[in-house]
Amino acid sequence: MKTTELAVAGAGPGGLSGAITAAQAGVQVTLLDEYHLPGGQYLRGALQKNHAPAISRTEARSRKLLEQLPSQSIDLKTGTSVWGIEGHRLALHSALGTEWLTAKKIIIATGAREFVTPFPGWTLPGVMTLGAAQILAKEHGILPGKRILLAGSGPLLLAAASVLSETGHGATVLEVLEATHPLTWMNHALALQGNLDRLREGWHYAKAMLRKGVPYRFGYAVVSAEGTDRLTSVIVSKIDRQGKRIPKSERALSVDTLCIGFGFVPNIELTQLAGCAHEYFPECGGWVPLTDETFQTSIPGIYAIGETAGIGGAYSAMLQGQIAGLEVALELGKLNEEEFRQAYLPIKRQLGPLKRFSVMLNALFRPNPALDALITEETTICRCEQVRAGEVRRAIHQGAHTLSELKNWVPVGQGHCQGRTCGPLLARLISSETGRPAREIGCFRPRPPVKPIPLGALGRLPGEDNL
Amino acid sequence: MNTKADVVIIGGGIIGASCAFFLSQKGLNIHLVERHFPASGTSRACDGLVLLLDKGPGAELALGKMSLGLWNQLDEMLDADFGFERAGTIMLAEEDAQQKAGQEKAEMIKQSGQRAELLDSQALQGLEPELAPDLAGGVLFPDDLQVDPRRATLAMLASAQKKGVTVHTDSEVLDIKREPQGYQRICAVVTQKAEISTPTVICAAGVWSKQVVQMVGIDLPIKPRKGHILVAAKRPGFIKHPLLEGGYVSTVQSAADDLQVAFVAETTRTGTILLGSSRQFVGDDRTVSLNVIQAIASRASRFLPRLGNTQIIRSYAGLRPWSPDHLPLIGPVQSVPGLYLATGHEGAGIGLAPVTGKLVSDWITDAVESELAAAFHPDRFFKT
Repeated sequence: MKTTELAVAGAGPGGLSGAITAAQAGVQVTLLDEYHLPGGQYLRGALQKNHAPAISRTEARSRKLLEQLPSQSIDLKTGTSVWGIEGHRLALHSALGTEWLTAKKIIIATGAREFVTPFPGWTLPGVMTLGAAQILAKEHGILPGKRILLAGSGPLLLAAASVLSETGHGATVLEVLEATHPLTWMNHALALQGNLDRLREGWHYAKAMLRKGVPYRFGYAVVSAEGTDRLTSVIVSKIDRQGKRIPKSERALSVDTLCIGFGFVPNIELTQLAGCAHEYFPECGGWVPLTDETFQTSIPGIYAIGETAGIGGAYSAMLQGQIAGLEVALELGKLNEEEFRQAYLPIKRQLGPLKRFSVMLNALFRPNPALDALITEETTICRCEQVRAGEVRRAIHQGAHTLSELKNWVPVGQGHCQGRTCGPLLARLISSETGRPAREIGCFRPRPPVKPIPLGALGRLPGEDNL
Repeated sequence: MNTKADVVIIGGGIIGASCAFFLSQKGLNIHLVERHFPASGTSRACDGLVLLLDKGPGAELALGKMSLGLWNQLDEMLDADFGFERAGTIMLAEEDAQQKAGQEKAEMIKQSGQRAELLDSQALQGLEPELAPDLAGGVLFPDDLQVDPRRATLAMLASAQKKGVTVHTDSEVLDIKREPQGYQRICAVVTQKAEISTPTVICAAGVWSKQVVQMVGIDLPIKPRKGHILVAAKRPGFIKHPLLEGGYVSTVQSAADDLQVAFVAETTRTGTILLGSSRQFVGDDRTVSLNVIQAIASRASRFLPRLGNTQIIRSYAGLRPWSPDHLPLIGPVQSVPGLYLATGHEGAGIGLAPVTGKLVSDWITDAVESELAAAFHPDRFFKT
């Protein structure tokens, strides 16, 4: 069986940073990513075409990590998913087959996935997430349609709006609809302190919007997406500061593409599978592994950084990666206490303001539960098994008060995505129907393989006898 | 909260639900207590095959046959879709020697009055074209059934509740009280939410029965035996019948401590294919072991080579209540008046659930004196 000193799952800014920090201290590192290129979602497309000057220190620094990567003695395995974890043994799958990798230390930096609050018609072709549209634009230089509407909430909405507006190709971004109201932002102004670089990024995106003259409207949400075979129009409505629809404010927009997104949910499948302790923190984006000051989880030798440990953005992920990388080097005897402390303290100092900022963003842009009123009985909740909201609500009223119990009534969490899409949504529905706090409702418990792998490949994994 | 019952059933899995269903038809005041929620343990972590071919001759086969008949009746009686299918099963033989064993099995089943049809290699390929071409043959058991264990549990419970059975969820049993004098008959069940006065308790707590009856000083010889199942992405119609390899029966009968793997496959209502099976003694651990799912996948690829490209989307593991003679414990415990057991079914609990509920309810309302009941009497383990 293959062995390494440090395995890093996820080669986004956080994973890159952890891997490089540890490698530079002399640790033998294997860096894994399921995509065929390193960089994660944040640096998607950066390797091929992003030769323009960076818009922020965060971008500059993360791009530098990518540039540094080839010169490091890091075993980079892209196109490789980690589908199982048992003790310090990882189960890997790539086009070349399945294999084991045993590591003394493991850093889990698997990022986050997008969260969408549904509405009637959200599964029509032509409706996609902000991230999906951004991938098309950033990586392939194409746009998903001609008449595009963006809606949702949060920083990605602004970033995606800017990227899509600038891609051009005869397509028009008609409007951008942000569900929150700027007035509520004032309550959080203090958290901006020490976060100039994040404001710089925001301003860069906003400028692009202004240049293109794309209207950015606050306090609006999509009520429904219309069309028979694919999206042809959307109904939008004003919403008040409580997230409630303002009567008679609806209007129809003729569009062929709707991009939606309401922030992120941490990808915790691997930390769950590893048996790490988790807790529900809404200000971190939901369920996250509990970590100490060096991002070690409750399982010794397993670290969780970046979005996996709580939604906090790329800069924060890079700092956390550095800290975890240093700690791994210390634990493996590659650094002494003094060397560790000298490197660690300045990084730690930067994390405070970042944490305040991400907590602020997560609180500010957390989709208002009142938006769930837009989910009609007919709205699909589970796309894999075509479960509708009406069935889910009936099950809740009949006594399904945890996600685990809900599975007794409706086939949610049992389809192809294993509840990655519907899990947080169902938890919200149970919470809003019963008033129970999210931590009592729980989350789906993943089991291997956390990403689907072919039966034949699983069967060919070297068995016990061949270890 | 204090309340009264004629009978308290401990355990909201398929066995407890079946006991509740059959007792509810006798007009008694029944309460069922469940530590978590219905079908939260073994009944949601197993397959749904109702088989006769794994039963030994004599009492076990007779019990299985009765249960098969009851399942067919339940399809009429229960007002819910619980995934019931008269699917039949095919037992597969890799070699001629195995096919010979299959032939004997077929004879046994036929003698019991059920159907069995010997298939040579060609006939097998005709029925199941996706099977590996090198198999020696198989036996089709057309009367075997398939149910969705979780839905069946809920359907039986729902029917029982309509007839007045009270279900207490999130109610772990803390104590079972006995009369201080005389025969020391059972007098109450205490949960963290309620004290239920009752002269009669049925322990249907499956794997967890040992801990339950310890409260009245009984040491049950039940051990958890772990089983894994893989879920393959939807391939409706890929296999036409539930399939299992001839070696399945011997892995079940084996008491070996190490891992036993035998190929089992069934298509669920949604079109996913469940692949099993494994048995091992590893205590209470319910986490999925990567080595075990690898072994199951490898075995499944041997029998269904063209399923190799189909994605495995998840796996799960559950604990089966193993009893030393591979037979369930159904009936009263003489040394504890008022205590009845309905446990120890290992991997046959889904199939045997209806007959277990029926037998226990008969024990409670009438004294049962039959050869069949005697074969499963719990006192065979408590010689005084």
